[in-house]
Amino acid sequence: MDLLDNLAVGFEVALTPANLLFALAGALIGTLIGVLPGIGPIATIAMLLPLTFHLEPTSGLIMLAGIFYGAQYGGSTTAILVNLPGETSSVVTCIDGHQMARQGRAGAALAVAALASFFAGCFSTLLIATFAPPLAKVGQSFGAPEYFSLMALGLIAAVVLAHGSVIKAVAMIILGLLVGLVGTDGNTGGTRFTFGITELTDGIDVATLAIGVFGVGEIITNLTQPQETRALVSQRITRLWPTREDFRRAWPAVLRGTALGSVLGVLPGGGATLSSFAAYALEKRSSKHPAQFGHGAVEGVAGPESANNAGAQTSFIPMLTLGIPGNAVMALMIGALTIHGIQPGPQIMTERPGMFWGMVASMWMGNLMLVIINLPLIGIWVQLLKVPYRFLYLAILLFCGIGVYTVGNSSAAVLLAAFFGVAGYVFTRLECEPAPMILGFVLGPLMEENLRRAMRISGGDPMIFVQRPISLGLLLTALVLCLLVALPAIRSKREEAFQEN
Amino acid sequence: MVLGERPENSGAAVWHMLARKDVLAGLMFMGVALLGLWLSRNYPIGTALRMGTGYVPRLLCWILLGLGVLVLVQGLRNAQAMRTPSSEASAAWRPVVFVTASLVIFGLSIERVGLVISILLLIGIGAVAARDLRPLETLAAALVLIALSWGIFILGLGLTIPVWPEW
Repeated sequence: MDLLDNLAVGFEVALTPANLLFALAGALIGTLIGVLPGIGPIATIAMLLPLTFHLEPTSGLIMLAGIFYGAQYGGSTTAILVNLPGETSSVVTCIDGHQMARQGRAGAALAVAALASFFAGCFSTLLIATFAPPLAKVGQSFGAPEYFSLMALGLIAAVVLAHGSVIKAVAMIILGLLVGLVGTDGNTGGTRFTFGITELTDGIDVATLAIGVFGVGEIITNLTQPQETRALVSQRITRLWPTREDFRRAWPAVLRGTALGSVLGVLPGGGATLSSFAAYALEKRSSKHPAQFGHGAVEGVAGPESANNAGAQTSFIPMLTLGIPGNAVMALMIGALTIHGIQPGPQIMTERPGMFWGMVASMWMGNLMLVIINLPLIGIWVQLLKVPYRFLYLAILLFCGIGVYTVGNSSAAVLLAAFFGVAGYVFTRLECEPAPMILGFVLGPLMEENLRRAMRISGGDPMIFVQRPISLGLLLTALVLCLLVALPAIRSKREEAFQEN
Repeated sequence: MVLGERPENSGAAVWHMLARKDVLAGLMFMGVALLGLWLSRNYPIGTALRMGTGYVPRLLCWILLGLGVLVLVQGLRNAQAMRTPSSEASAAWRPVVFVTASLVIFGLSIERVGLVISILLLIGIGAVAARDLRPLETLAAALVLIALSWGIFILGLGLTIPVWPEW
């Protein structure tokens, strides 16, 4: 069977000592930043992006992927023990997870969260292995017009499913597209928006933008907010294993959460956060005892935790098969590929099977490592929460600085990141979500290239986008999504989905 | 609050309205779009078939300008968006100034004085951004971070960053 052959290739790559080490490093870093509030996977991956330049591309991707799904595990630890979400994707885990902890069942909550995540991780890794090859085949039949429409759909869907104002999010995408244009135009050789600065003629690196907006911007935002007091659950975690009753109630929730998360993860703009919110709502609505939610219902931990991990994993599918990033983390992954001169897209699977299947296999290894990292070693991570933010931000600031500098050994990049840091802070204050900007930034040059090619095919006639059936279908879907958001009934539902407190 | 209803007494009310988040965001988008249009005023546009350097940038700027106007109008009409940025955190200038300054100085100094001294500068200036750091704590943090970054970046990854100033 094809699948088994492919997986065998993958495990051969993933089980080399170096790649095991990088998977472990990714899982550890992911857990660390997942546990620590105030630093998220986007900022971390951005900071480490320049370093992957010095690694094998496969090893680099394995590590970055580990950080992303590792953060989903770590985030739940903080949510359960401290009632602070370590990541946005574990916001809903706070509700029932922390209640369980206060009833002296912290161990059970942590175990349910880790096992639910593990199950979801295994299942969604299988999904990637099964559905990626056929999707890549579809992608390979796409021409320039189809690609342009697909990217347009991806960008629109990303903002429709994200929370906050849609118009602002679209504006942020356009802003990202514009920033992506800075530098030399590959087709005409003319420079654009360089302000006469030599360092800008090569364009802005995705790492510089992401470290500035997410890394530095988050530091400034966090420092302007008053420090939260961290109310650690003080009693020792005695009983780690959940009761038989917990298992009986948790497993259907895990199945539902995994299914929901897997579907939502594939959609652009989906991924971990949306999945966990949706899963919590689903559990609460389908439960026979909705009154227990908010008072330590084990389903309220199992559902969202499996969903966020499944969503985190399946969001790799469009990135790996079509080269389309569905969220900011995937945009950075594409950045990591381009650093190594690898053109993202459907051809990756056929041209670099070792890399693709190695990454898939490493995800399964990484999930296994994460269960071990998170359950027996939980005490160590809890200790880390005692490190005050005033030390943490100095370390983050320094790693941002060194990270940006190493992108191209360039002082100008550091200054640029400082500028984007202030911009990121302004965006946050004005409630303009910066994640869509990164999507636009990464897709900008690709979209322009495909637009140009499509125009050359059609002889300058924009009707080509509606004359080709696949392209038309994609654009119509985008239009329908836009109209749906404009409907008041859907709009209120959408806001409801993100308010579960 | 409708635009025309306001009596003439209040310059402050105008200021308040302008300081709403959506209004400011709209103005920001419009500002960037106008800047982009001005910068690209001499870029050759070309035709759809043979797009010049300026075709896509100018197209995007016009779209952004339109979206900015939409956000602005929404902000002016939406009475709920009364929360002004300035009313939430007052001491915001401190992190903005010192975090930015520490990075700028780090970037400018690293090639001249090497990793160790530029880290000291970054930590020293960056520490002012938070008010609750004591001098000794800062020094200890700086020493730990110097050791850590030397271990990771110089020893581990073998990056070619100067460690000490070249005399």
